[in-house]
Amino acid sequence: MSILIYIQQEEGKFAQSFLELASYAYALANQTGGTVTAFVAGGAAESDIKNLGNYGISTILMEAGSSGQPFDNRSSAISIASAASALGATCVLFADNSSSRAIAPRLAVKLKAGYVSGVAGLPLKIEPFMVRRLVFTGKASASIEILTPVKVLILARNSWQISENQVACSIEQVNPAAGLPIPEFEVVKVTGQTGAVRLQDAEVVVSGGRGLKSGDNWGILEELAESLGAALACSRPVADEGWRPHQEHVGQTGKVIAPNLYIACGISGAIQHIGGISASRVIVAINKDPEAPIFQFAKYGIAGDLFQVVPQLTQAVKKLKS
Amino acid sequence: MAGQIIFAGLLAATLIVFSLTIRKYIYRFRLTGPHRIRHWGKRLMIMFRVAIGQSRIFRRPVIGFFHAITFWGFCIITLGSLEMVTDGLLGKERSFAGLESVYDLITGSGDVFALLVLISIVVFLIRRIVLNVSRFHGVEMKRNSHLDALIALIMIFLLMVSLLSYNTAYLLSNSGNHEGYYPVSSSLAAALTHMDSALAAIILHISWWSHLILIFVFANLLPYSKHFHVFMSIPNVLLSRLEPLGKAQNMDAVMGEVKAMLYPGQAPAEGPAPGRFGILDADDVTWKNYLDALTCTECGRCTDVCPANRTGKLLSPRKIMIDLRARMKELGDGKKKNGLDFQDGKFYMGDYITPEEIWACTLCNACARECPVNINQPSLILDMRRYLVMEKAAAPPPINLMFSNVENNGAPWQYGSHQRLDWTTGLDIPVPVMSDLVAQGNKPEYLLWIGCSGAFDDRYQKVARAMIKLLHHLHVDYAVLGTEETCNGDPARRAGNEMLFHMQAFNLIDTFRRYDVKKIITLCPHCFNTFLNEYPDLGYTSEVVHYTTFLEANVKAGKLKSSGGVFKSDTIVFHDPCYLGRANEVYQAPRTLLDIVESGKAEMEHSKSFSLCCGAGGSQYFKEAEKGSGEVFAARTGEAVACGATVIASSCPFCMTMLTDGIKYLNKEDEIRNLDVAEILVMDAGL
Amino acid sequence: MKTLVCLSIVPDTTTNIRFTGKMDALDTTGIQWIINPWDELALTRALEIREQAGSGVTQVSVIHVGLKESDPVIQKALAVGADSAFRVNYSPADSMEVALQIAEVIKKDHYDLVITGYDSADYNGSATGGMLAELVGWTSFTSISSLSVSDSMITLERESDNLTETIAAKSPCVLTIQKGIAKDPRIPSLRGIMTARTKPLTVIEPSASDPGTRILTFENPAPRSKCRMVDPSNVDELVNLLRNEANVL
Repeated sequence: MSILIYIQQEEGKFAQSFLELASYAYALANQTGGTVTAFVAGGAAESDIKNLGNYGISTILMEAGSSGQPFDNRSSAISIASAASALGATCVLFADNSSSRAIAPRLAVKLKAGYVSGVAGLPLKIEPFMVRRLVFTGKASASIEILTPVKVLILARNSWQISENQVACSIEQVNPAAGLPIPEFEVVKVTGQTGAVRLQDAEVVVSGGRGLKSGDNWGILEELAESLGAALACSRPVADEGWRPHQEHVGQTGKVIAPNLYIACGISGAIQHIGGISASRVIVAINKDPEAPIFQFAKYGIAGDLFQVVPQLTQAVKKLKS
Repeated sequence: MAGQIIFAGLLAATLIVFSLTIRKYIYRFRLTGPHRIRHWGKRLMIMFRVAIGQSRIFRRPVIGFFHAITFWGFCIITLGSLEMVTDGLLGKERSFAGLESVYDLITGSGDVFALLVLISIVVFLIRRIVLNVSRFHGVEMKRNSHLDALIALIMIFLLMVSLLSYNTAYLLSNSGNHEGYYPVSSSLAAALTHMDSALAAIILHISWWSHLILIFVFANLLPYSKHFHVFMSIPNVLLSRLEPLGKAQNMDAVMGEVKAMLYPGQAPAEGPAPGRFGILDADDVTWKNYLDALTCTECGRCTDVCPANRTGKLLSPRKIMIDLRARMKELGDGKKKNGLDFQDGKFYMGDYITPEEIWACTLCNACARECPVNINQPSLILDMRRYLVMEKAAAPPPINLMFSNVENNGAPWQYGSHQRLDWTTGLDIPVPVMSDLVAQGNKPEYLLWIGCSGAFDDRYQKVARAMIKLLHHLHVDYAVLGTEETCNGDPARRAGNEMLFHMQAFNLIDTFRRYDVKKIITLCPHCFNTFLNEYPDLGYTSEVVHYTTFLEANVKAGKLKSSGGVFKSDTIVFHDPCYLGRANEVYQAPRTLLDIVESGKAEMEHSKSFSLCCGAGGSQYFKEAEKGSGEVFAARTGEAVACGATVIASSCPFCMTMLTDGIKYLNKEDEIRNLDVAEILVMDAGL
Repeated sequence: MKTLVCLSIVPDTTTNIRFTGKMDALDTTGIQWIINPWDELALTRALEIREQAGSGVTQVSVIHVGLKESDPVIQKALAVGADSAFRVNYSPADSMEVALQIAEVIKKDHYDLVITGYDSADYNGSATGGMLAELVGWTSFTSISSLSVSDSMITLERESDNLTETIAAKSPCVLTIQKGIAKDPRIPSLRGIMTARTKPLTVIEPSASDPGTRILTFENPAPRSKCRMVDPSNVDELVNLLRNEANVL
């Protein structure tokens, strides 16, 4: 199976998700007897890219330096399709991010390929090609067959371990495909994300309740949130008392969120609060009362003093990330 | 002779002016909608008790006494005024004297009341001018209102002075040969015996004419004043709303639409499209709403007891009535002048009463219960909510979310019906489920209605389990609906969504009929109120009781006893849930239950029909509180703490959430705890 | 400007998801169907723009690919304010078929703006918008958190993982929106429901299409396990679990 993967780099560095993607692709190549080619977008130095060979990639197609045009999924799809056709790729893989979700569906149409996103794990079968993914927002999983010769997949986040597999790696420059359309739009302004992570879209959320005793004690949660790259949230009484801004209130009458990880500190777990977080993938509860209702909804819990546990958690996270 | 002609002329002028005013009002009444009146016997009883007997006025006993005196005095003195008018037309004096001893009664009581009313007016003036009583103030009390009140008080004062001086002058002019009996005036006359008889005659004439002119002027001022209630209060009370305060008026137009949606095959004949849903402007109200508005005395007792107003929200029940009156004047005059299509770009709802006020109401009915003239303010608020929801879908977003939840998953929160028996985990006692029993050919006597809180609210699940223990102990033949329970529509109805209420109700009624449910015991007072008072309008009547009433019967039959001791060192105070108490007048049952528990007892400053709401009603539970200076739940919990209680007993899931939160909010967790009555009984009986 | 909002119809989010006997199809008994929450937000935003004076958007239509059973839910879209509705009478096997069917409808009529939701609450594909754009040859923008139209000029905010771009876009284009596009979804008023009956719901016969994928079987997840309690003195273990077992770190 000839596998093409799409990788983006930023200032010569690759995000974890792309290394996971490469590792997965290598494993898939082994499963099917094939090789992995990476299409690396947006002009970077050869020296930075070369170490992709450590992750099982045998050929790197380096896209010529960016033309200064804004990200246009239409053009990207054309470029990748051109590379895939030239390669005779039967499987094109993406990591899960906003660009992939923009490009991959268009690419699937171009290559007349079956498309599955959120793929968890290696294919269950190769002939016929079957992959598994979660459906109904995590309430069930499905085994899906791809009916077409060419397959386009987006991997599920955090679903594959990075593994180093050194192979000989060659780099080819790729010129822009002929006839790329000029983007029919104009980027008027670009704002980087501010330090604070937006609650509604945050993948990790650290939340505090009455157990914090006072708005002055929020420092420990802020530190934990910072170490996790998380957004801050709170329960209703906290917002009502003015300890935290109303925008942080999560619950039935506040925001309803669905992060990957929700850490509830000093929150008892009243029904209205649970209503705001029940779609979270993983809930961790820290509360000194082992009978607190939140433990019935949490996947992991610590029945202890949050003023001790939270700083320790922050330390442990920092250790992990370094 | 000349006097008679002048008098007749004045009388005629008064009556003409009066009839012109009445014509204006008749025009405005014609703009309103219909309202059916029945049960005349019951109404007469209420009229005698509330209007004549001033029963609600006496809820504030001291000042109430003074008003009662003024009112009774007015009634008696009116008889005397009739005589004076007759005198004027016939050119005679004391025309009714032929009634002899009855006449003595009339004149004597009139004379005494004149003094008593005089004293009362002085008291009222002191309260207004010196004491500056707070309920006389408010954003709706404009300068005109204050002026109106002062003018009326001064006029009544002058009326009493003129009456007493007339009686006194009469006695002085007819010494030894007078008709009637005048205990007060005769003392005055005795003190003035030496007055020149010519002077006495002059005073007599001046008093008589001024008294009558004052009456004529006053009578014509009344319709433009809050003292219109002088005419309106007795009819308004006679035409009172008779239903329990918790019952919301059904909207037949909506019911018809929903039935057409749910049972298309049975669609009734196509009629004209229903008019506006709810109230937007003054011409959307019923004639009874408008009569209420005209009767409003601006006393402010309603606003004074309103939990929203007391915690600084913009809502004022008095303003609801005053503004309706003002808007109807504006709209009516506009239409009269420019035709029925008149639009001035303003509306009662929106320009006079803002959505913020409308959404602040907890529908606790304290205002309706307090009003001395039986005005019903909450129905106007509810009808404005109905407009906002059913015409504009403009409820606050958290309420819209609650509507979606009720519609899509049958509960006000995000829980599925398959989770409705999760609360039974942890119980050793098996909980009988209706579908199982019926499949086995059994039919339980009672349906125990758990409700959405009992099923999904972590805290209230414990109460549901306590209830099971009690029913098991009492060997009650019951079953629960389990996963077939759905929201009965109450939260939707209180928030103005009649359509969703009907949809939920009809679906649930189908289930009830399928199982031939005849008797229901509910955990929650809201569910109780809905089944008892509102489902019959949709064609389903059952014998439904709140669990406290059910258990009360068992206590009285001696079947439920306490083993004593658990609460010996506690002081228990009961918080009346609005939908058990004021809405349905059930005050004693929970207290009878708590009486069997050995403990100290207390009552809060405001209890029974005076109870302060917990703040959760009127769908407040499902939304953020409106802007205010305080929280209702904190105020209520504060009352519990202040009366020295160590346990607040509640019997409603919403009250429980609010009171428990209140205890945390006031940091009194070490001093007081909140338990449901069922839990207290279980703990005390050692079940 | 004419706007078309693509609607997916999904089970209500509290539904207990179960599958039929051979675990190859969703058990639809007792399911309450709703408009996919993201599509609902897209529709809300489109209606807000249509109601804004001077936006240039004069019509908001909705389209759904599905069978007759979907009509009551489509009526809700009309009840909250959509002007017209289309249903392609077909049961699609995957996103590709949905995109193919809608593309054929778009090609036959003139639309300036086509909006889809980030993903649908059933199969979470996140594909239809992009596929649709490629099929009709239009520009597409994904992860749109803000949309405004003034005098027929489109301004968007597109979110990528660390940037927000403000974009001036030209019609026609396809937008895939995410949360943030509108604050609170509209609910139908009774008046709206009554008016909806007078608005057109046109059923369109499907074009030929082939799916790219096929769902073979489903599996229910293991029942929710009890909370795994970690000792307060061993916080490292929690981090370990989160990283390796739950894969959320």
